[in-house]
Amino acid sequence: MVTFEFFVQDGCVPDESRARIVADIEAVCAEVLGAQAGPVSVSWTVIRKGFGFRGGEPSTTSLVRSRIPDGYGSDARARFLRSVAETWCNLTGATEDEVIVSARDWSWAG
Amino acid sequence: MPFYRCLIPKDSLTYEQREEIAVAFTDVHCSLSTAPRRFVQVAFLETDGSGEVADSHGSGVLRYDTPYFIAGGNRAGRSEDTKRLILSGLIEKFSEIAGVPADMVSGRITEAPASWTMEAGRILPEPGAEADWLEEPAAAA
Repeated sequence: MVTFEFFVQDGCVPDESRARIVADIEAVCAEVLGAQAGPVSVSWTVIRKGFGFRGGEPSTTSLVRSRIPDGYGSDARARFLRSVAETWCNLTGATEDEVIVSARDWSWAG
Repeated sequence: MPFYRCLIPKDSLTYEQREEIAVAFTDVHCSLSTAPRRFVQVAFLETDGSGEVADSHGSGVLRYDTPYFIAGGNRAGRSEDTKRLILSGLIEKFSEIAGVPADMVSGRITEAPASWTMEAGRILPEPGAEADWLEEPAAAA
């Protein structure tokens, strides 16, 4: 299973874009991680205006945090991160600097 | 990274307090590490007092029993002493700026390897290797 938590600044990702984003991210998972990665689950957290900061300044940055099955090597993980970031930027209009993508192993306890 | 989520009661902080806390968190983190200021993300999330939040860098949920909670997520690789100083510094500044007793604020920082995160199109550097990373051209990612 692959889970995503999307933390987005209010107004940076139009509501009407969400379904397409989820569909395209699911396609990235299938293409890069393969069918064995299993189903994809997504949750959204909208950070209200005036509630998100980067370097102490108001933020327009989205954080795309995911958990993926154990066993993917560094090349596959990097390819996954890059594909997710590119998809995100293409669909939201964010710049490369405005999205942070992560993928941690499912068993990682933190 | 780092990503600091502040779980706060509804309407408990003004914009000015949130901004001041965000700047203070950036100061604390960057004074105890070599992270550039732009790495530091701070979000304030108003809660219904459920007392738990999904762990952004580990698995499961982080539970808390104070009105204010700092859920931090950092790159792995720092000493236990540095991690302790960062968290205590965050709690101290939060308490001071929010005007609440320190025992009303708690926090937890979990970590994940730097190589598991991409920022600005590049895999993040290990803690301490930020200077080289910042000087590298983007194509080196």
